[in-house]
Amino acid sequence: MPHNRKTFGQILRQKRIDKGLSLRKFAELVGVSPTYQSQVEQDKVESPPTVERLTRMADVLGEDRDQFISLAGRVADDLPPIIQSRPDELPKLLRTTQGLAPEQLRQLIAQAKKMKEKEK
Amino acid sequence: MARGSSTLLRDGVPFLHEKQIEAEAQVLLGEYADAHAWQISAPVPIDEIIELYLKLTFAIEDLQALLHVDDVLGAIWFTTKEIRVDVRLDPIANPLLLGRYRFTLAHEAGHWRLHRQYYLEDPNQGKLFDGRGQPAFVCRSSVRPPAERQADMFAGCLLMPRDVLRSTWQQWRGNLDPVAVQQLPALALHAEAKRNENVAMERFCRPLADQFEVSAEAMRIRLENLGLLLREVPNTLF
Repeated sequence: MPHNRKTFGQILRQKRIDKGLSLRKFAELVGVSPTYQSQVEQDKVESPPTVERLTRMADVLGEDRDQFISLAGRVADDLPPIIQSRPDELPKLLRTTQGLAPEQLRQLIAQAKKMKEKEK
Repeated sequence: MARGSSTLLRDGVPFLHEKQIEAEAQVLLGEYADAHAWQISAPVPIDEIIELYLKLTFAIEDLQALLHVDDVLGAIWFTTKEIRVDVRLDPIANPLLLGRYRFTLAHEAGHWRLHRQYYLEDPNQGKLFDGRGQPAFVCRSSVRPPAERQADMFAGCLLMPRDVLRSTWQQWRGNLDPVAVQQLPALALHAEAKRNENVAMERFCRPLADQFEVSAEAMRIRLENLGLLLREVPNTLF
C-alpha cells in the first residue's frame, strides 16, 4: 500500500464530515455507539464493520453500497452464494474480466442485462 | 481569541475576567450560527461546533489507559488539532452522562479558543507521547488549576448562553426574578436536600438542565453565576 493512501477509517471520517454530520449524530443514524464509530474511524477495530453496518453507513452517506463495502475490505453478503451457485462459470468469468477497464466492464454489464431481459 | 493581561498564572495562561470568557464563548456561538444558518438556542450543538466549525479531529478513547490518569475526562492536542474524550463518557453507553460528555467537549473548545496561543509557542509540546505529541491539557474531574477553571467557565457560557437561558427561565418561571434556596419546595419535601443546598438547587433546575442537555450541577452553577439562583434571600425581597 502506498504510504499516502488513506485508510478506510480516514476515508469514512472525511465522508462523514463532508456530509455535515458529527460523530455522535452519524453513529445515531447508523445505529452504533459513538465509541464504536470512533474506533472504526481510527482503524482500531479488529475486523471491519459488518456488511449490515457498512450498508447503513453507505446509505447515510449517500454512497454506492457495493463500493463502500469493498472499501472496507468486505464483500456484499449476496455475492458468495451467487458465485457458489455456478462454481464452474462465475469464478472463470470474474478471472477473465479482471484487468478490464471500467468502461469495458460497464459494457459487459449492459450486455448481460440485455441478455437477461431477452430471456424474460 | 481572547487576550488577557500580560501576567501569566501558574499554568502558563493569563488571568481572564469572567466577562472576557463569556464574550469569547458568545463570539464562537455567533460564528457558528452565521456559518451554519443556526439560530442560537438550546441545546447548543457542541459536537457540530467542534467537528464541523472548529474542524478539530474528535475521538472517543480509553484515555485512562492512554494517559495513565484515573479521573481523566478529556484531553486536547493543539499541534495535531485533536480532542479526545474518555470512553466512560460515551452518552449512549451512559445516558446519564450526556451532560458531562457535552460539557467536556465545550471545555476542550474553551482550551482551544482561550489557551492554544500560549501552547503553540511552547517548544516542549513537541516531545513524543505515545506516538503523538503530548496533550496540552489533560482535563480531570479532581484537579482544577486556573486554566481548567477558565475552560469550565467557557463551557458553561457556551452551552448555556446568557440570553437563551434568561428567556428560557422567564418562560419557565413567568418572570426574571431570582429564586433563593430557602424558597425551594425541595427543601420542604426532601430531607436530604435540607442537608445540602446544592442538592436542593440541582433538583430545582433539573428541567432546565434537561432542556440544555447539561448536568444539573452545571446548570446550578450557571444560574448562580447569572444571579437567578441565590443562596440567601436578598433583603429587597422583603
